[in-house]
Amino acid sequence: MSLVSGPGRGMASLPAETRLVVDKHVRYIQSLDTRKDELEYWLTEHLRLNGLYWGMTALHLLGHPDALPREGILKFVFSCLHESGGFGAAPGHDAHMLYTCSAVQIIATLDAFDELEAHMEDGRRKIGQWIASLQDTATGTFAGDEWGEKDTRFLFNAFLSLSLMGLLDLVNVDKAVQHVNSCVNFDGAYGTSPGAESHSGQVYTCVGALTIAGRLDLVNQEKLGAWLSERQLKNGGLNGRPEKTEDVCYSWWVMSSLAMINKLHWIDGEKLTAFILGCQDPDLGGLSDRPGDMVDVFHTHFGIAGLSLLKYPGLAEVDPVYCMPRDVVQRCLRK
Amino acid sequence: MATHGITRAAGTAMRTEEARQQQLRDIDAYKELVDLVNTKITERQYTLEVLGLATKLLKQNPEYYTIWNHRRRVLNALFSGETADESSKHAVNDLLQNDLQLTFALLRQYPKCYWIWNHRNWLLETAELQQGADVGRQLWSGELLLVNKMLGADSRNFHAWSYRRSVTAQIERLTPRAEGQMTRSMTESEFDYTSNMVKSNLSNFSAWHHRSKIIPRLLNERDADTEARRALLDSELALICEAINTDPFDQSIWFYHQYLMTTLSPDCPSQDRIVLDLNNSDRQRYYENEMQYMREILEDEEDCKWIYEGLLFLAGAYLEFDNGTKIFTTADMRSWLEQLRRLDPLRRGRWEDLGRSLNL
Repeated sequence: MSLVSGPGRGMASLPAETRLVVDKHVRYIQSLDTRKDELEYWLTEHLRLNGLYWGMTALHLLGHPDALPREGILKFVFSCLHESGGFGAAPGHDAHMLYTCSAVQIIATLDAFDELEAHMEDGRRKIGQWIASLQDTATGTFAGDEWGEKDTRFLFNAFLSLSLMGLLDLVNVDKAVQHVNSCVNFDGAYGTSPGAESHSGQVYTCVGALTIAGRLDLVNQEKLGAWLSERQLKNGGLNGRPEKTEDVCYSWWVMSSLAMINKLHWIDGEKLTAFILGCQDPDLGGLSDRPGDMVDVFHTHFGIAGLSLLKYPGLAEVDPVYCMPRDVVQRCLRK
Repeated sequence: MATHGITRAAGTAMRTEEARQQQLRDIDAYKELVDLVNTKITERQYTLEVLGLATKLLKQNPEYYTIWNHRRRVLNALFSGETADESSKHAVNDLLQNDLQLTFALLRQYPKCYWIWNHRNWLLETAELQQGADVGRQLWSGELLLVNKMLGADSRNFHAWSYRRSVTAQIERLTPRAEGQMTRSMTESEFDYTSNMVKSNLSNFSAWHHRSKIIPRLLNERDADTEARRALLDSELALICEAINTDPFDQSIWFYHQYLMTTLSPDCPSQDRIVLDLNNSDRQRYYENEMQYMREILEDEEDCKWIYEGLLFLAGAYLEFDNGTKIFTTADMRSWLEQLRRLDPLRRGRWEDLGRSLNL
């Protein structure tokens, strides 16, 4: 089951659409696993599980949760699970936090923790323990895998996955929170590690982790909100850092962060909506980084999730922290 | 996956039958190579031959993280199989040099691929473990050349900036202290580096950011007294005001200006301050000077929203110490806010909130 590769094959330079072509996006996502005659399909195998999360979540937000077969999805997800409790990108790929997080998000969305237990005894706890084993006890941060790369992305992946499974008590939350707090810069935003430049993607992971930990009091919300709001450019799109170009995926990183600190109204939602809609391939579905570029499932997912935050009519509500349907997150956190 | 900046037309040309057949052959060849490497690793064939196959595969697909892991498994086995004699040291060195060259070539081609940067970092750490601190220091020092090349090609590459911070920390750690010195610090040269970077491109926010992290260290290591600290603050303000004058529409510059102003605040943690012993009348004087400067440039740039934003920021800070010698009125503040609403309607929600928080 792969949804990663494959540009849309539509004609270029059509005028920007003014409405979301839902059916075409559904068909685009459904088509992605049928493109094994393209080299790109094989070159992107290291993203299979992420791609499945992106495509499946987009379908749920589009109101077509059954457009992909549940059984097929779960079979693929479990085939990526290692004895250790970590998931690889695809069968035969090593376990890594990035894929483990996507796997947990998929299992949660499909309400399939019982199936997980049937596949692997005590599977939920094993996943939790694998994640917990990657916390650096000295600094509180997390590595992505046994090789030790550390980044606030992995800390957020850990918090997100563990909280969905009700296993946050397996790690030292306070220490991790301190680490996130040490990544803040004078502009109120966050970087990959202490000393690193502020970056919208990293803001999402750091503010997301602090939201899960219930520590938004540590965020300078006025400063951060100002910095985030300046990501919007004249064409309505958002960039990731000062003086960079716009990109649909930042619609998510920036907007979700603004939503977490209740400042979504600090940017122009109408203009952003128009920008995202203009990135659709109106013929064959899918969204791209900028108008007229090749589409892919990553931008398709984050563009649709962005539109959901903007309350685009007809879309299911997305949770700004978990980037999953809101009702799913509420169900998981209640348990 | 995430295709960035490739036009839809370029990716969607109809494939001829011949091109399709060629693609199928390419797929077969690629899958065969993947299977070969994975099979040999499963059989624990940690050999030079497998290393060569991994090289071939990674050149085709540097994002295939599992193959980088396999590569390190092979290298670790080859390293540990060696004895301590001179010829095996050469072999270790050859292997390391080979991977340094490979990652250098791949980084030039794929400068934003996390896995290549990771592998390079692992190589350097492993080289130090295998060959000792002297070799480690030489190798880490050489990395500055790589970083300079990468930042020369893209001065905003945040992988390269992060690696730069890590490289300088390693060099400092491994350099023996000179007589009487606390540490062999690279702070001064890093400060100079950011000066050159921002001089060649004022929009380089990465360089301004780096500078903001260097300054507190610089002052501590210089053991700067109050006069030296004030002199540095003044020269930074002169530098940034000149930059504002050059391009008042560039937000990188305004964020750095905001940084300097933030260090004046009594709320600023002492380790981040530039001047340690500011009193409130010092603060007011700085705010007044900056406001005065902004009002001057406003005469030529009345449609630059950053100036109004800067003025309101300063006014808010100033009012915390107002001693009755106001240099602006509430009506001024209202008019600046009005300009923000006019010039920057994208963020009108923010200007509404700002008006409320300033009671305007």
